[in-house]
Amino acid sequence: MSDQKKTVILQTSDDEQFTVEKIVAERSAMIKSMMEDLGDQEGMPIPLPNVSSSVLTKILEYCDHHKSEPLPAAESNDADDSRRKTSEIGEWDARWIQVDQEMLFEIILAANYLDIKPLLDVGCKTVANMIKGKTPEEIRKLFNITNDFTPEEEEQIRKENEWAEE
Amino acid sequence: MDKWAPMAPTKPGGPSSSHNLSSRFASVLKPSKPSVRGSASSGPLIGRWPEAVILSIIGLLPVSDLPNVARASRAVARLVKDERGWEVRCKWLGLEPDSASPLKEHSRPLQTPKKSSFSIPSKARASISAEDDFGDFSAHGNDVFEDVDFGDFEGARPNADSLGSKKEQNLLDFDDLPLPSRPTGGGGQKTGFFALTPTPTKPKVSSRNNGLYSVYANTQPGPFYKAYKNHHLTMIPYCQHLRSSPSPGSTLSLLFPPSSTTSLPPSLSDQSNLLLSLLLFLSPRLQPLKDWGFLRQALLAAADRFDSTCLVAFEVSDGKKDEMGMRIAAESSWKVWEAGGGSRDQWECGRVWVEKREVFYDTARWDSSENIIKVQSPTGAMTRQLDFTPMDAFVSHVLEAFRIDAEFAKRVFPANARVILSFCDRVASDVIGEYIHPLLSQARAVSQDLFLQATAATFVQAWKLVDLVMEVLGETQKVIPRTSVEDTVFRMFEQHLDEYLDDETERVKLHLEDICKAWEQQLGASDSAKRAQNGGPTFLTSDNPDQIKRNVLAGFRDALLLPVTIVPRTVTFATNAIVTGSTQAVSGLAMLNPQKWTGNNGKIVKKDESNGDIVLEVPDSSEIQEEEKEDEINEKTLDISENPNSKDLKAKSEGDNSFDKLQLLVSLDTALELIQADRDSLKRAETFSRYPGRSGIRVKEAIEEIFILMMKAAGDRHIAPGFRIATNQMSTYKPSDHETTTSVAPLLQFFELVHIGDTIQSMIQVYFDKELSPYVDKTDFLNAVMREKKRFESVLDDAVAAGLNAGIEVLMNQVEHIIVTKTGPREYYPIEGAAMDLGPTKGCQEAIKCLEMHCNLLRGSTSKEVLEVFYQEVGIRLQAILQRHLKRQIISLEGGFQIIADLNTYHSFVASLKQQRITEDFANLKMLGHVYIVSDAKDLAQIVRDVTRYGGTFTPEDIYEFIQRRSDWKKIEKTVDKAMYALSVKEDCVIM
Repeated sequence: MSDQKKTVILQTSDDEQFTVEKIVAERSAMIKSMMEDLGDQEGMPIPLPNVSSSVLTKILEYCDHHKSEPLPAAESNDADDSRRKTSEIGEWDARWIQVDQEMLFEIILAANYLDIKPLLDVGCKTVANMIKGKTPEEIRKLFNITNDFTPEEEEQIRKENEWAEE
Repeated sequence: MDKWAPMAPTKPGGPSSSHNLSSRFASVLKPSKPSVRGSASSGPLIGRWPEAVILSIIGLLPVSDLPNVARASRAVARLVKDERGWEVRCKWLGLEPDSASPLKEHSRPLQTPKKSSFSIPSKARASISAEDDFGDFSAHGNDVFEDVDFGDFEGARPNADSLGSKKEQNLLDFDDLPLPSRPTGGGGQKTGFFALTPTPTKPKVSSRNNGLYSVYANTQPGPFYKAYKNHHLTMIPYCQHLRSSPSPGSTLSLLFPPSSTTSLPPSLSDQSNLLLSLLLFLSPRLQPLKDWGFLRQALLAAADRFDSTCLVAFEVSDGKKDEMGMRIAAESSWKVWEAGGGSRDQWECGRVWVEKREVFYDTARWDSSENIIKVQSPTGAMTRQLDFTPMDAFVSHVLEAFRIDAEFAKRVFPANARVILSFCDRVASDVIGEYIHPLLSQARAVSQDLFLQATAATFVQAWKLVDLVMEVLGETQKVIPRTSVEDTVFRMFEQHLDEYLDDETERVKLHLEDICKAWEQQLGASDSAKRAQNGGPTFLTSDNPDQIKRNVLAGFRDALLLPVTIVPRTVTFATNAIVTGSTQAVSGLAMLNPQKWTGNNGKIVKKDESNGDIVLEVPDSSEIQEEEKEDEINEKTLDISENPNSKDLKAKSEGDNSFDKLQLLVSLDTALELIQADRDSLKRAETFSRYPGRSGIRVKEAIEEIFILMMKAAGDRHIAPGFRIATNQMSTYKPSDHETTTSVAPLLQFFELVHIGDTIQSMIQVYFDKELSPYVDKTDFLNAVMREKKRFESVLDDAVAAGLNAGIEVLMNQVEHIIVTKTGPREYYPIEGAAMDLGPTKGCQEAIKCLEMHCNLLRGSTSKEVLEVFYQEVGIRLQAILQRHLKRQIISLEGGFQIIADLNTYHSFVASLKQQRITEDFANLKMLGHVYIVSDAKDLAQIVRDVTRYGGTFTPEDIYEFIQRRSDWKKIEKTVDKAMYALSVKEDCVIM
């Protein structure tokens, strides 16, 4: 009972501190294993040098909403598959992830770093939905990458994947 | 939401300390789980994005979007081609890459016997593969349940793998595609695609881990990529059909054109396999084509159409009694229906078949009201009773019909379709339910008793269906778990349950109340003649009340094992059929009552005759009875030869009407009846104890309630009033009113009462342990049953304590009465020179005899603590009585020796009680006797002042009071005073 009340302090890259219920923080497999490693050192802040306070605020909102769901199995890629079978994003998640592109990108990065698999999934699905029907140039813009193909190479790729275009 | 609040940015300790912290963390964390975080955070980036993230995004993209994505950049193109994404897609479709082929032979031999039963005429182009597919399907179906380690992906979609594989083969046969990695497809090689082992992924693990294809141009497409691509290309033409077809009907004919040689469409199972592949392919997960949604709609419509085709084929086969045809049609239909996503509510084929079962149409010839029969009771009146012979016949008929059909269904329908379950559900609700409902409402109209009986009985009958289903299911029980079969019966019966439980608790309440009332009436009306019939106290006259109690309890335990007849049947003799169950147990139980063992053996024998075989079911108790009879006889002889006291006591109690038969205020018989009535209800309620969920909780509550009611009846209605009357009667007892004897009749009776109470408590404990412990957590002190049980015990304890309180009063009054009346006036002042025999006086002897008897009687009947308190109280009061008694006497020096003799006797009696404190007190009292035999006054004063002699019990002033009773007191008073207080009024008090 008292376990639920336990909190942990998270410290972001911009040196803000968040006091978070353990059960919420445990959504992150990374923080969970960190707390296990640290044992019972109460009051010791866990530094998250890759996460800014604005992103962490957003992510904690997600974690709090999902705190009572079972944690995904620690490392199982097969479970990944079955989970991803449903390509739908939950209603709450879909509303929650309605953010600007930069934030979405930050969230995905942080989810990747903090190892919150369901969240990463939501992010990836959102990006995938954004990509649907886009041209290569639009996609480059979305990912912020440059075209490093020679025209011949690009043509070769196009041909190679032609079968999937119908 | 408010659980975590961002703290104000405190910046603890400045930059230096935070630096320290993070470095500390880093060192702590690195060695423990480097792999998880390492792979997640590091790794190559594409633009700002980690490659792993891009990869999972690509994995989620529709296939039709991939070409554009691939053209974004070299790195992205490489990831699009990456095997990981394609592997997931292949798994979804159940495809295996070429490399898997060598492994396939392992799974083959196991399936060969099954193949033979699927000899499908190979008219279609993929007939061979269809056979293989069946083989795989069934093998796979088994695997899913036998092999726990199977990956959940495969487990979830048992037939997807095989079907997908088959499609691929079709492609290889008919579409001339260049496949560089693959040798030309010969007949033997084809089957290679059917391998189901998940192992082929292994060879690629290494390439995946270092799988960063540095330059895109160098990468060759991997096996999963190729497998998917091939499959994709195979599906395209079919999708073309779907797109162009004007109606679902024509879709089917486009998809399955008649064979060129036989001009017949492909077999149903082939068609179903192709449809299944298409359903998987055109799924929201893959989104292989831009218009997949539209195509899927068209496909589902076609699948519906196919379903009805199958149904027709099924019916035709049914008409021809062609089990094989039915089976193929059913399997084909089921596969497509299942993959269609269950959008339609019930699988048509199974539903139609179930609906046509004969068992639903011949219910008219069964009339459930036949189970209620009219019987002439011994008094000549007609009473309605239950006789379930008609229902027996009905149930066995239904079950037999069900068995035949269910076994057929098991052969014909795929296990996953759960046709047997829905059949069972229909039979339970439409056949058995329809039979039971009117029966119960009729029974309810007749009487509550009948309704309760009928409810439990019909439920037991209906339950037989569950066992039968499980028997028919055999090893396919895993597909249809027992709980869901039980649910069908539970659901059917649920509507009666609430009513039943309410009635049952109400009924048991009334019944118990009736029993108590009957007892009270009997008590009030009973005349002494009737009482006398029952002889003397049973427990007390035996050498070993414990042994009797143990025997009673053992017999009781056996009686509890007697079956309660739930389903009434025809009985051969004219006695009441309904209560047979209870009467037989009651009569069994009744014999347990030791009060009946004395002297009325003939009666029991008579009972044996009238009930015939019934009593024979209780061999143990009759043995005990025998045993006890011997005991009893022994005791009687003992009584006569050695125990004149107790004979005297019997005679006394018989003559003494007002206090007669206190022990009959509480009756073992009544307690037994209560328990028995309760047990009947409990057993009935227990039939429903398997109910799950909310109803299950209600059943459990009812069971608890039934037990609680019984304890309330036994405790508050029976034991407590009985003890109260006894206590009141005892307090009115006046020893002087009765001729002097060593026994106090009411107390004796009361002790017997305590024994009975104790026995009842033990019986309830046994009853609880035997019947209720499965439902109640004994360690849960908050549980209502446990609380009530505690309360019952304390009611009994309080009653015993209150009774003992009054009892001690009575006993000690009696003792004092004995001592006062039996002590002669010159007992301690004998005529000088008279012969003295230094034994205790008569009064002393009799008082002790009286005490001893009563103290012994109580042994083993009540708790040790109560006994100790009782003994101590006896000791303390005896001490007071003796002191009072001494102070009333006049004692000479010779009489002093008599006093000492008496006091010694009292002391040894008290010592036998083994109560440390009062034994000391009596040792001190013994010392007091010395003051009467010291002749010299000065020495006497010395003794009186020596406080330590009396262990602190008496002060010199107390002793001084005692020596005043000496016959020579007047003579020695002055000397003693002087010696004690070193003053004499005459010499020291001089008026100046």
